[in-house]
Amino acid sequence: MSKPLAILENVTTGYFSDIVLKNVDLEIFPNDFIGVIGPNGGGKTTMIKVLLGILPLFKGKVTFPQGKPNMGYLPQISQIDKSFPITVRDLVGSGLKTERSWFPHLSAKQKKQVNQMLDEAGLMSLASKPIGELSGGQTQKAFLCRALINHPQLLILDEPNTFVDKGFEQELYRWLKELNKEMAILLVSHDIGTISPMVKTIACVNGTLHYHPSNQLTEDLLKVYNCPVDIIAHGPVPHRVLKDH
Amino acid sequence: MSEVFSILEYAFFRNALAAALLTSLLAAMVGTYIVSRKIVFISGGITHASFGGIGMAYFFGLNPLLGAAVFAVLSATGIEWISQKGKVREDSAIAILWSLGMALGIIFVFMTPGYSPNLMSFLFGSILSVGKAELYLLLAFFILTLAFFIVFFRPVVYTAFDPEFARIMGIPVAFFRYTMSVIIALAIVISIRTVGIILVLSLFTIPQITAMLFTRDFAKIIPLAALWGALGSLAGLFFSYFFNIPSGAAIIFILTLQFLILKGFVMARNFFRRDEKVIT
Ligand SMILES: Nc1ncnc2c1ncn2[C@@H]1O[C@H](COP(=O)(O)OP(=O)(O)OP(=O)(O)O)[C@@H](O)[C@H]1O
Ligand SMILES: [Mg+2]
Repeated sequence: MSKPLAILENVTTGYFSDIVLKNVDLEIFPNDFIGVIGPNGGGKTTMIKVLLGILPLFKGKVTFPQGKPNMGYLPQISQIDKSFPITVRDLVGSGLKTERSWFPHLSAKQKKQVNQMLDEAGLMSLASKPIGELSGGQTQKAFLCRALINHPQLLILDEPNTFVDKGFEQELYRWLKELNKEMAILLVSHDIGTISPMVKTIACVNGTLHYHPSNQLTEDLLKVYNCPVDIIAHGPVPHRVLKDH
Repeated sequence: MSEVFSILEYAFFRNALAAALLTSLLAAMVGTYIVSRKIVFISGGITHASFGGIGMAYFFGLNPLLGAAVFAVLSATGIEWISQKGKVREDSAIAILWSLGMALGIIFVFMTPGYSPNLMSFLFGSILSVGKAELYLLLAFFILTLAFFIVFFRPVVYTAFDPEFARIMGIPVAFFRYTMSVIIALAIVISIRTVGIILVLSLFTIPQITAMLFTRDFAKIIPLAALWGALGSLAGLFFSYFFNIPSGAAIIFILTLQFLILKGFVMARNFFRRDEKVIT
């Protein structure tokens, strides 16, 4: 197995003096597809911020054995001001990391990159629309484009299935499966029923982190680690989620 | 009509015209940032805090605009600092600053011996008395701000929209946020001369809201806001001169009227378009 992309070691962090995450350990390998579950306020988003290096640690460390990887990030949609006057094209362009990132206009090459990305996602017809006029699914797609345009080695998605219907969700997951061939993916979701068959491993974050090296969920995993997710409620596939051990 | 042209022969009126034009162009850029980031209330706090500086400068016999600038910059960077630390409720801090500034201003103005004839002009604006020196100052600040917006357009927009993502992209977010708060503070203080403290914020918001009737693209809101702001300011200036009312009130009145008319126009257009679509 190759070296990990990122290692969280004994990480304790939070906001001001409140501890949100305690002694979290996690290794992310280049081909990983990790589903992160956990209750509201459990610290999933906080863990992502640690990985992205935008939240200082109280204790522990984050290391990147292969050097700091290129990370693509799709934030939780509730953190975004959708009424901000920015078009889909500019949003996607804001994900381009170049030495010209301060320059007022994108270069011709960068514009082409943005167009290619929009084309791939089927968003071309919406390119000039402000993000406030997109549907929930289109919004997620546009933000996914912003995360992808820089060809990340690690793609971090914070609840990309919020405000998205089932059909759209399936399309999204097919896309992610394809992307996983080229990059590691860390996917936060409440909807364990749908993500479980797709991800390779599961991490449960609830103040601490419990790593489950398979995508099969057991009753005790959920009980012992206090990850209250409603398994039965997820319709047609509960038998695929729960497996007797 | 000839009366309109004849006043152009007066230097003071030409100065006023230039000041109105430059102020509205400056407000178009800075105001678009304010409206997009939804920091109108913060900017109101900065504006009113600056009155404390005006009062103090009066009392100590200094240039009032200098006092206003110091107060405005300190409160703007202070608010940005508080919001980045996130420990205090931002809006209560702004409310305190807002009222403290006004109270300090009034206290010092009243403690200053003698009558202060210029006070009204700070509250309501007196564009007709703008001098050459002030005009050059305005021009210089306008050019600096324009240059900053042109060179750093993308990071300014990105750090306003999603500062966390901008930080991940390696943009020095704190630098841009603080620089923008200084630019906001100075732009407001410089515009006080034209429209006065009470109405200055309208100059930074009404043209933008008008522009946003037509576009929701940051880069396009600026020129459109410049157009509506300049039109309204110039019309307001003539209105102010011929009816002998304070320039601030005249300009803001015209800007508001303009907004309402265009809003009505857009609503009517949408209404008829909908009808067409139903028929076909
Ligand atoms: N900026 C912040 N300032 C202060 N406290 C915060 C901040 N962000 C999060 N918290 C607190 O940290 C805890 C964990 O939040 P976090 O957003 O990581 O949870 P989450 O697992 O992502 O929840 P959700 O499923 O609702 O997105 C919560 O109790 C929250 O109140
Ligand atoms: Mg979250």
